[in-house]
Amino acid sequence: MHQHSSRDGSAHPARSGFRRLARYGALGISATVALALTACGPAIGSGEAPAESTKLQAPTDPSGEITIWDRSGDLFEVFDGVIEKFNEKYPDIVVNHEAVDIGAKLQNTLITATDVPDGVFLDDQLVPGYADSLWDLSDVLDPYLADIAQQKVDVNSINGGIFGVPWDLDPGLLFYNEAALTSAGIDATAIESYDDLLQAARDYKAFRPDAGPIHLEQSAFLGQLQLEMYASQLGTSITDENGELRIDSPEYEQILTFLDTVQKEGLGTRAEYLGPTDIATLDSGQQVFVPWAQWFSFGPQQLLPETLGDWRAMPLPAWEDGGARSGAMGGSSFIIPKDAAEPGLAWLFYEFLVFDPEGYAAVYGPNSIYPNGLNTSIPSYAPAADADKPLFGEVEAFGDQDFWKTAVEAGEQIPGGVPTPTWWGGAVDYLGNNIQKMLDGTMTPQEVISVSTEDIQTNLVDRQ
Amino acid sequence: MTTVDTRRSRPAIVSQAFMVLLTLLFLSPVVWAVVSSFKPAADIIRDPLGFDATSFTLDNFTAMFDSVPLASGFLNTAIVLVLKGTLILFFAPLAGYAFAKYDFPLKNVLFGTVLVTLMLPIIVLIIPLLLEMKEFGWINTYQALVLPDSFGLAFAIFWMRQVIASVPDELLDAARVDGCGEFGIFWRIVLPVIRPGLAGLAVLTVMNIYNDFIWPVVVTTSDSMQTLQVVLSTLAQNISGNTIGADYATITGQLLAASSIALIPLLVIFIVLQKHFINGILAGSVKG
Amino acid sequence: MTAPSALGFRAVRRAPQQGPRWSLLRRRSAPYLFIAPFILIFALFSIYPLTFALRLSFTDWRGTGAATWVGLDNYAYLLGNPAFWASLANSGILWLLIIPAQVVIGLVAAVLLNNAKLRMRGFYRTAFIVPFVTPLVAIAQIWVVVFDQNYGPVNDILGAVGLPDIGWLTTSEWSKPTIALLFLWKTTGFAIIILLSGLQSIDTSVYEAAALDGASRARQLWSITVPLIRRTLMFLVVLQTLAVFQMFAEPYVVTQGGPYNSTTTAGLYLYNHITRADLGTGAANSFLLVIAVMVLSLVFVRLLRPKD
Repeated sequence: MHQHSSRDGSAHPARSGFRRLARYGALGISATVALALTACGPAIGSGEAPAESTKLQAPTDPSGEITIWDRSGDLFEVFDGVIEKFNEKYPDIVVNHEAVDIGAKLQNTLITATDVPDGVFLDDQLVPGYADSLWDLSDVLDPYLADIAQQKVDVNSINGGIFGVPWDLDPGLLFYNEAALTSAGIDATAIESYDDLLQAARDYKAFRPDAGPIHLEQSAFLGQLQLEMYASQLGTSITDENGELRIDSPEYEQILTFLDTVQKEGLGTRAEYLGPTDIATLDSGQQVFVPWAQWFSFGPQQLLPETLGDWRAMPLPAWEDGGARSGAMGGSSFIIPKDAAEPGLAWLFYEFLVFDPEGYAAVYGPNSIYPNGLNTSIPSYAPAADADKPLFGEVEAFGDQDFWKTAVEAGEQIPGGVPTPTWWGGAVDYLGNNIQKMLDGTMTPQEVISVSTEDIQTNLVDRQ
Repeated sequence: MTTVDTRRSRPAIVSQAFMVLLTLLFLSPVVWAVVSSFKPAADIIRDPLGFDATSFTLDNFTAMFDSVPLASGFLNTAIVLVLKGTLILFFAPLAGYAFAKYDFPLKNVLFGTVLVTLMLPIIVLIIPLLLEMKEFGWINTYQALVLPDSFGLAFAIFWMRQVIASVPDELLDAARVDGCGEFGIFWRIVLPVIRPGLAGLAVLTVMNIYNDFIWPVVVTTSDSMQTLQVVLSTLAQNISGNTIGADYATITGQLLAASSIALIPLLVIFIVLQKHFINGILAGSVKG
Repeated sequence: MTAPSALGFRAVRRAPQQGPRWSLLRRRSAPYLFIAPFILIFALFSIYPLTFALRLSFTDWRGTGAATWVGLDNYAYLLGNPAFWASLANSGILWLLIIPAQVVIGLVAAVLLNNAKLRMRGFYRTAFIVPFVTPLVAIAQIWVVVFDQNYGPVNDILGAVGLPDIGWLTTSEWSKPTIALLFLWKTTGFAIIILLSGLQSIDTSVYEAAALDGASRARQLWSITVPLIRRTLMFLVVLQTLAVFQMFAEPYVVTQGGPYNSTTTAGLYLYNHITRADLGTGAANSFLLVIAVMVLSLVFVRLLRPKD
C-alpha cells in the first residue's frame, strides 16, 4: 500500500524546536538589519519652525484648478450643484469635486503630502487635530468674523489662529410629538426648563403607561455628543481653552443628574439614534421628546410615516432661569491644507459658499436634491441666518412650521465655546461608556464624573 | 481519485438538509441586501425586513450610477486582479515547491520570514508603506496596488508549500531521471498534480484581492484609480453608527445597489473556476 | 510502491558530487531562484516599513510635527493598561466562539461537497463563498436589525417560544457571540475551500482499500480523513487564528467596539490607536500583537502537527 511519506527528510513538518530557533534567527537577522536601516528611511517630522507666515491671503489672480473633498452623500450633491453658480462669478477656476472617505484618507494624505486636496469638509471636532497642517485663515476671515456665530469661531480657533471656515451651525432643539402630547392634555410650548420637561414626561407617562417619553441615547459616541450639546447650553465642555478637564463641575453634575432622573423614573426610551427601536417607538407615540441637534429633522421627514405631520420643533429647555435655550451638537467647517497647490483659490470657493448671498442661497435653498431646501442645519453666518428671510421652506412634516425661524432663533442663543480636544473621540471609551453605564443604572452621576475624569486624565490628557 | 467511493449511492437526507440549511443561512443576508436595493431608501431604514412590492424602485440604482464611479471601479479591480492574480498564482506555487521539496541553507529562516509576514497586522504598515510609495513616486499607480502585498504572496506560499508537500517524491524522482530540468519538473509534474489546490488558491486569491480595501483606499487618491472596494467604502463612510448630521438613508440605498452589482462579476468568475474543482475526475497521475 | 531508487530525489541532495556541474548548479540555485520574487517583495515592502514602524514605536509621533523619542514608554503603557489585556481577552473569547465551530461546520460541509454524488455541488460551493465577498458595510445593517433587542426577528422567535428578549448587541455578554456569528458567516466559506482542497488531495485508493475492508463511512471519516487532513486543519487553524486576532472591521462597523468595549478586539484596539493619530503607541501595539499571535501559532502547531 503506497503510503504518503509526504515529508521531506530534514524539514520536519511543523515548527519543531529547530524551526523555532530558525525563526528566532530570522527575527534576529531582521532586527539587526532593521537597526541598520533605521539610519535611512523617511524622517519623521523634524519639527522645523515654519519660516514664512502661515496666514493665508486672498489670491490676486482668480484662475486655476482646485480639488475639493467632500463626504459622499446628500451634501456632496448639494455642494456639487453650487459649483455652477460659483463659476458664474469665477469662470476661470476649475473645481474638481471629489467624494472621498475623508476619515480614512485625510490623515495619510497630509502625512505623505502627496496629492493634497485644496479644500476639505471636516467635522468641527476634528479640526484641532489637524491644525498643524492647515492654513491659518484669520486674515481672510477677518471681514466676516463679527458676523459668524461665536461658537463656530471658537471651535475653529486654536493657539491664536483660525483653521477652518465655519460652515453650518447645528443648534440643539427639542423635537416633540405635538399630536400625541395634545391628546394627553400637555402643552409642550409651555416647557421652559428641564424640570418642566421632566414634569411633562411624567404627565405623559401617567396618560400612557407604556411610554418612555424622552429619548435616551444608547450609542456611546452619540451619547457623548449629546452630552456636549447640553454642556454647550451651559457654556462649558469637556475641556477649557487650556485643555484642562472640567467635567468635575456643577454644570455636568446637573446634566448627568437630569439624565439619571429620566432613567430612574422610567421616563425614557433607551435606543440607538434612528435604529429599529428608536423608529418604532417614535412612530408609535411611546417616545415623544427628542432633545437633539437640528439634523434629527431628517427622521420625522423621512422615517416616521405614522406620525408624519405630528412633530414640531422648539428651543431646548433652559438649565437655569434665563439660560440659553440651545447648544451646539456637531457642525462642520472647511479646511485648507498647507500643502495645497492652490489654497487661495480654495478660499475663494469657500468664501462664495459660505458668505456670498448667491452661494449660501444655493446651498440651503431649493435645489434638485432638496426641493424644499436643506434643513438639517443653518448657516453660522448671521446675514445668511436671518430669522425673517428663510432659505429653506416650511417643513410639511412639522405641520408647515416655520422651522427656519425656530432653528435660527435657537442658534442665536448658543453661547461661545472652545476648540475640541484632539483626543475627544478616544474619550468615548471612558466618558461615553460611563454615561451608558449610568443609564444602565450601574453608575451614579458622581461616579461618572470622577471615574471619567481620572481615566481621561491618565490615558488621554497626560499622554499628549 | 478524490471522490469517496461508498456503497451508499446518495448522501443521506440529513446531509442534503444540512447543505440546504447552510446555504439558506449563508445566502439570506445577501438576498436581503439585493432585494433591499430595490426599495425606496427611507424604507430600507424604516422597515428593513418588509417588502412592499408596490414600492419597487430603481432609484437607488440610478442615483448610484449618477454619482458613483462604478465602471472605473470595476475596471481597476479587474486590472489589479489580472496583474496581481497572475503574479501570485505563478510565483507562489514556485516558492512553495522550493520550500516543500528542496533542502537548502537558510531554508527555515526564509520560511520563517514567510510566516512572520502573515502575522503582521497590516494596519501598522500603512503609513510607512505610504511614505515609501511617495518616495518611489508610486502613489496612485497600478504598481502600488499590485506589488506591496507581501501578505497575499506569503499566504499563497504557505498554502502551496503544504499542498505540494503531499506530492509523492517518486513522481519527481521519475521526472528527474527522465532528464527534466528543475523548472520543468515544476511546470510539467507538480502543477498538474496540485490542480485542486491551485484552483482553491485561485478562488481565494481572487476573493482576497477583490476584498482588499485597507491599502487601496489609502494609496489611491484620484477617482480614476479607485478599485471597487474603495468606491464602496467611500459610500459607506456615513454608515458606521457614528453618523453626525448625515442623511444616511439615500447612501444606504446606493450602497446596497452598488454592492448588488459588484457581486455579479465575481459570481461569474466563480462559476467559471468551479470547473477546475474536482468533479471526481482527477488525472490519475497520483496512482502508481 | 517501491522504495526510492538510488538516484532518487533525496539521494541527489545528499550526493551532490554526482552529475555534471552545470545541472548541479541549477539544482542548487533553483530553490533560491524560485523564492527570490517573494524575498524581493518582502524586503522592499515588509522589512523597510517594519523598520520604520519599529522606530515609530519608540516615539510619540502624532502624524504631524516632531517625533520625540520616548523609549519603552509606549510598551510600558500598553502592558500596564487593562484595556490592552482586555482586547486580547476579547479576541481570545472570540477565538473560542469561532474556530471550533468553523472547523466542525467547514469539515462537514467539505466532506459532503467532496462526494461526487451530491447534487448541486457547484451551486453550494458558490453559495458558501458569497458571504466572503459581500461588502461588510452592506451586511452590517441587517445584523443590527435582525438582532435588535426589541423589534428584531431573533428575539421575536425567542418570545414565541417563551424565552425572554436578549440584548444581542447591547449587552457585554451577548455582543461577542453576535459578532462571532458575523465572522463565522463571513469566513466559513473560506474555510470550506481550504478544507475541500485538502480533502481532494487525498488519494482515494486509501478510501477504496478501507471500504474493501468493510469500514463504514463514519469510520472512514474518523480514522482516515481526519489524520490525513490534519496538516490542512493545522494550516486553517493557524490562519484563522491570525484573522480572528487581527479582526477589526466587523466589530467596528456593527458595534464600534462596544458595548463597553466588549467587542474591542486586539485588532480594533490597534486600529483605534492609528485612527486617533496615536501612531507611536499603535506601532508598539502591533509588535506586541505580533508576539502574542506568534506564541499562539506555535501552540497550535505543536498541538496539531501531523505525527508521521
